[in-house]
Amino acid sequence: MSDIVTIAATRRDRAGKGVARATRRAGLVPAVIYGDKQTPVGIAVEPKELVRMMHRPGFLTHRLTLDVEGTKYDVLPRDVQLDVVTDRPLHFDFLRLGPNSIITVDVPLHFRNDVASPGIKRGGVLNIVRHEITVRTRADHIPASFELDLTGLEIGDTIHLSAIVLPEGVRVVSREKDATIASIAPPTTVAAEATATSAAGGTAATATATSAAPGKAAAAGGKAAGGKAAAGKAAATPGKAAGGKK
Amino acid sequence: MLSPKRTKYRKAFKGRIHGVARSGATLAFGDFGLKALEPERVTARQIEAARRAMTRHMKRAGRVWIRVYPDLPVSMKPAEVRMGSGKGAPEFWACRVKPGRIMFEIGGVGAPIAREAFALAAAKLPIKTKFVARMGAGEA
Repeated sequence: MSDIVTIAATRRDRAGKGVARATRRAGLVPAVIYGDKQTPVGIAVEPKELVRMMHRPGFLTHRLTLDVEGTKYDVLPRDVQLDVVTDRPLHFDFLRLGPNSIITVDVPLHFRNDVASPGIKRGGVLNIVRHEITVRTRADHIPASFELDLTGLEIGDTIHLSAIVLPEGVRVVSREKDATIASIAPPTTVAAEATATSAAGGTAATATATSAAPGKAAAAGGKAAGGKAAAGKAAATPGKAAGGKK
Repeated sequence: MLSPKRTKYRKAFKGRIHGVARSGATLAFGDFGLKALEPERVTARQIEAARRAMTRHMKRAGRVWIRVYPDLPVSMKPAEVRMGSGKGAPEFWACRVKPGRIMFEIGGVGAPIAREAFALAAAKLPIKTKFVARMGAGEA
């Protein structure tokens, strides 16, 4: 783990959306420190450094020190709420860490040596099922990430949880005993393109063949359906596709 | 092109696109995504054109996920027809896209290739979009 960064913060006495919005208008981001069986503390932080850290790997597994008006808190970023359009942070959650805290945390997985995998070389696609795994560990021994080696993997091979070498004192939390993490899938791009093309043709054919079928299509017929048919377009128009199946 | 196999009703109201995306606004499958920044109806043709542009640029590597589905039948009246006489015939399928929606995702390729592929795809779409990466992937 890298050095523990210290972030300055100010205390926020009042909670609620009005105060939170006022904090955002002031250029700060509302946040909360909770955990370790103590009362939560509402704070406001300067987003610049945190945003920079957010875009680096392992933001949610790196401890921070928050300096809230002189009081220092040892914390772990727990959650970030982002604006759905701008992706600017709206709120941070920080978990307060005690001296012997044991916590559950999601650790990211990094897949290495894809060039040494014959399956990927032959056009296989690395299908990642889990981008991170949940582990239970002491707060001062959180692994920044787990590395998974893809050397020698062929198309059809899978990587399971058991392939991860866990450091001492780290335990995986998983409902499945040996869950799949990733697999090397056969190349799908060309096949998918061919299927898509034939599907488009197939739908048109189906629509044309079944458009005379009785039911809603015939009932709805009239000018609209007639006009479309007269235009002679064989494409899978919504009316034909929908009407044809009724 | 994407289209529903069967629908309950042949024609739909025009509707309006209000607000921002509540669901489908985070990356779910891949490492990189193309996020819509404007509200607009995106047609099945545009989705297909974008998909082709991406898969061709990626040259069989990686994987593409399409996170929008055109299930809205859009009707049009024929040319030179007087107003009235009922709603026009369904012409194409579209989906309503709200700002913030992740429209496509890519996985299994590096950030530069994904960025180029999305730039080609974005040129086929009627809206402004932006490139997004999974948090901690080293891209923003």
